[in-house]
Amino acid sequence: MAATALERCPTGIEGLDNILDGGLPRGNTILLSGSCGTGKTTLGLEFLVRGAMAGERTLFLSVTEASQKIVENLSTFEFFDHKLLEENKIIFIDVPILFEKLGLSKEELTPEDIDLFITSVSNLAASLKIQRLVLDSVTSVCFRIRHEEKIRDFILKLGKSLSDLSCTTMLVSEIGPQSSRYSQYGVEEAIADGVILLGNVQRQGDLLRTLQVIKVRGTTHSRAQYVIEITPLGILLAPFLKGGRRDGGNHE
Amino acid sequence: MSNTVTQDQLADGLRTLPRGSALVIKMGNTNYVDTYPAALATILRDYVMEVRGRAIYVSVTNPASLLIDLLGSMDVPVNGISFVDVTSYLMVAKGKRSPNISYVESPTMLETIMLRIEYLLRKNPTEKPVVVIDSISSLAIHNNGGILSEFLHVLVNTLKSSGAITIILAVAEETAPEMENTLSLVCDQIVSLATPGGG
Repeated sequence: MAATALERCPTGIEGLDNILDGGLPRGNTILLSGSCGTGKTTLGLEFLVRGAMAGERTLFLSVTEASQKIVENLSTFEFFDHKLLEENKIIFIDVPILFEKLGLSKEELTPEDIDLFITSVSNLAASLKIQRLVLDSVTSVCFRIRHEEKIRDFILKLGKSLSDLSCTTMLVSEIGPQSSRYSQYGVEEAIADGVILLGNVQRQGDLLRTLQVIKVRGTTHSRAQYVIEITPLGILLAPFLKGGRRDGGNHE
Repeated sequence: MSNTVTQDQLADGLRTLPRGSALVIKMGNTNYVDTYPAALATILRDYVMEVRGRAIYVSVTNPASLLIDLLGSMDVPVNGISFVDVTSYLMVAKGKRSPNISYVESPTMLETIMLRIEYLLRKNPTEKPVVVIDSISSLAIHNNGGILSEFLHVLVNTLKSSGAITIILAVAEETAPEMENTLSLVCDQIVSLATPGGG
């Protein structure tokens, strides 16, 4: 019996979609991991803008940075049209404000608090008919959950509730520059449907931004390492040339 | 085109290049001072500006600003040329800011050179420009043969599939046998340019 191809959610980043054989499986929860300055937020934003340009409604949940500042960064994309914001094709929500509205002021979230947060995000996504969502960063939310089993439960439930809405989700995961895993707590990557790793690789004194798809359930994909460049036309990818490799970078 | 060509023969040969071709132009070390400006005039003025209208010029041998001055002295218009300057940052002397010059930090950042070319191709997707690499010999000063061969293989094939024409400049005596093999493998033609006036 022939396998049924899953519906795709093209990221709109041409090089990445080629790696992913057409895009992410729709409804997947993807961990977008990387250390500081590797392009995680930019990739997440382009994923939303490209989706909005294709007519989808998208949501950016910002935990660490004020939305206003992130919106300003969008203008660096030549293809970005402010109408997308006016028409609510891209919606920004500051998670600290959401926490405050929900009365989640305690430093450590209880299981009930976590359920309340997941329900709120899920209700928002359902009522706004969100098809793409970025949570930047899941690490900051997990910092308030702390315990591995609760983090596992949180990501599982959040992913399931958004997947049920056919919402494709990117969870931004902050890791250290020499980390040997893809998330701060080590459980996020096991629960997510996919992991896209962004890194900084040193070669002969040059610092190259890299991208590697570690896993994505439901699609065949390249696992090779690529060099990326953030340009006004979006993120571009080129194969990482292996011939001159001297010293290692992340996850080597 | 035959193996050794005059400037006129090169000009004629360039005009017949089909889309997606890759040509290597080798110049001798001893006559480089005379041959290099003549080659630039033939490629950029007589071919790019008259026939194609647009070029992406990857400048490794000289900083782009110096090249622009040289081209200006030869009355070669540069308005249709996008320069990718791979040298100025290396000298810790950033060249002048200009909309048609972009800078790559180091000649060892070969992937960045590829990405900068891709960016310029995407910026004007309807035009099929000529992409000039000046030169593979200068890149070889900073990169080992293995990675340089890999770079050429990926770049030339990418440009071929995009329909762009690739012209790679090389100093004959500085081209190692392994590089010669790679150039033969990935490019369609290799010609040696005779000294101007020397036949």
